[in-house]
Amino acid sequence: MRRFFRTRTVGATVLAFALIASACGDDDASGDVPADGPTITVGSTNFSEQLIVGEIYGQAMEAAGYPVERSFNLGSREVVNPALKSGEIDLLVEYTGTLLTFEGGTATTDSQETWDSLAAVYSDTDLTVANYTPAQDKNGIVVTAAFAADNGVAKTSDLAAMNGTLVFGGPPECPQREFCLIGLTDADVYGLDFAEFKPLDVGGPLTVAALEGGEIDVALLFSSDGVIAAKGFVLLEDDLNLQPADNLVPVLRREIVDAYGQALVDLLDSVSAELTTAELSELNKRFNLDAEDADVLAKGWLADHGF
Amino acid sequence: MGAHPVGSTPIGGRLMDFLGDLAEWFVENWDGSGGYLQRTWEHLQVSGAALIAAAVIAVPLGAWFGHTGRGGFAVVSLVNIGRALPSFGIVALSLPLTIWLAKTVPFISSGLGFLPTFAALFALALPPIFTNTYAGVQGVDPEIVEAARGMGITESRVLREVEIPLASPVILTGLRLSAVAVVATAPLGALVAYGGLGRFIIDGFAVQDDVQIVAGALLVALLSVLTEVAFTWSERWVVPSPLRRTSGSKDPVLRPVV
Repeated sequence: MRRFFRTRTVGATVLAFALIASACGDDDASGDVPADGPTITVGSTNFSEQLIVGEIYGQAMEAAGYPVERSFNLGSREVVNPALKSGEIDLLVEYTGTLLTFEGGTATTDSQETWDSLAAVYSDTDLTVANYTPAQDKNGIVVTAAFAADNGVAKTSDLAAMNGTLVFGGPPECPQREFCLIGLTDADVYGLDFAEFKPLDVGGPLTVAALEGGEIDVALLFSSDGVIAAKGFVLLEDDLNLQPADNLVPVLRREIVDAYGQALVDLLDSVSAELTTAELSELNKRFNLDAEDADVLAKGWLADHGF
Repeated sequence: MGAHPVGSTPIGGRLMDFLGDLAEWFVENWDGSGGYLQRTWEHLQVSGAALIAAAVIAVPLGAWFGHTGRGGFAVVSLVNIGRALPSFGIVALSLPLTIWLAKTVPFISSGLGFLPTFAALFALALPPIFTNTYAGVQGVDPEIVEAARGMGITESRVLREVEIPLASPVILTGLRLSAVAVVATAPLGALVAYGGLGRFIIDGFAVQDDVQIVAGALLVALLSVLTEVAFTWSERWVVPSPLRRTSGSKDPVLRPVV
């Protein structure tokens, strides 16, 4: 059966028949062990947290007997989203607010509301969303402790007092993003005016090194990034609510749910229910600063939570 | 989505749309701080600086080792290790050093951008220039060198007035190889916040703007080709006329090592 799914030359009729057959097979199957169904390819974008959560869901599914493949480090949302839609990957851990905005919707600061809107956007598509996790990872505007102390900065809006003098560093896509440079410079939101924007990496070591080395004054990192605490950086409060609710959420292809049924979704939801922002920060710190491997971290987290 | 001609195939239509978008990109993005004129200038600045720095070091050293003929092979082998180091690795490795330099040395304003890019391109440019200069000078006909010495001129004049002019086509080939490689590799700088034409490729990739990626790649390719042409053309002034490849000489004294 799996071979049918992996052979692209098989005619559409045969493929359709195979899909129906596999769906029927699952309906008849009893118990928790999934029938021989399609391989679930778990994808991830190109930053460390994604590798960890990809491993967490991947290993949880493997432990329950599902056939899992990994396709990690694919690139930004503009790379992974089409990969998910085209079926190159089947499951991706996303962020509710950012994904909703990406799909043309409007995210709010309310987690449930944002998830509902996202579920509605995907209702008639090949994709479906499982429950969101309590863990959130938002864009975080970060400065060094020395900078915060010297300039009396605690909130993002405090930066406006230094308009025209600060150098801001973040991912290359930042100037195109509502929740990044566009919102920060928008007069209706923060109205900041940076002397320069330096395109660096996606909340990664380059941005951290640049902030630490004084190359940039203000950095875009992720709010759940363990490096913030470890380096003594200060995460500025998003006092004007630029950043929407951004809970982690598994997005998967509907055909996978059709093939394996509700049991798979229940499994994903049970994992999601346990993941908090604090734990995510801790996992990120151990990955980035203590150089622990994503698969080992995921295994430990799953064991701690009884999976 | 632009309209495409009626009756064209969907793929042909999409290609036409893409080419249309590409043409529009070149019309709309040429000026200003992020325009491709400025990006090209930034690209040439770091490429030129790396090439000149490499030439200033590699040409005299290569000539001296080629002239004396002593220890040359060992140095060529050593310099060639540089070719095995990936430029991307040098960018990443030099970054902590350049950030530290910017913090400590007052007149270095930034450790991002220019410096790490320069370091990688300098290391890339060094081996071909050194190797070709060494091989060119060493390969000059010993009888000509002996004749020059027999006329009683000094060793340094032998090198400057006989060996280097005779080796000039080979030396120039080394410079040309380095220049083209440097121009084609300089887009890496965009990974560490440098400008240059790589900006279009890296930024375009981050937001999956295919038009911008292709436009950036085309500009890099064009600049590489122009660099090649410029160096080939410069032989006219640099290489003594009897040695020029275009002079029609049936028995050239030397052929460039390509």
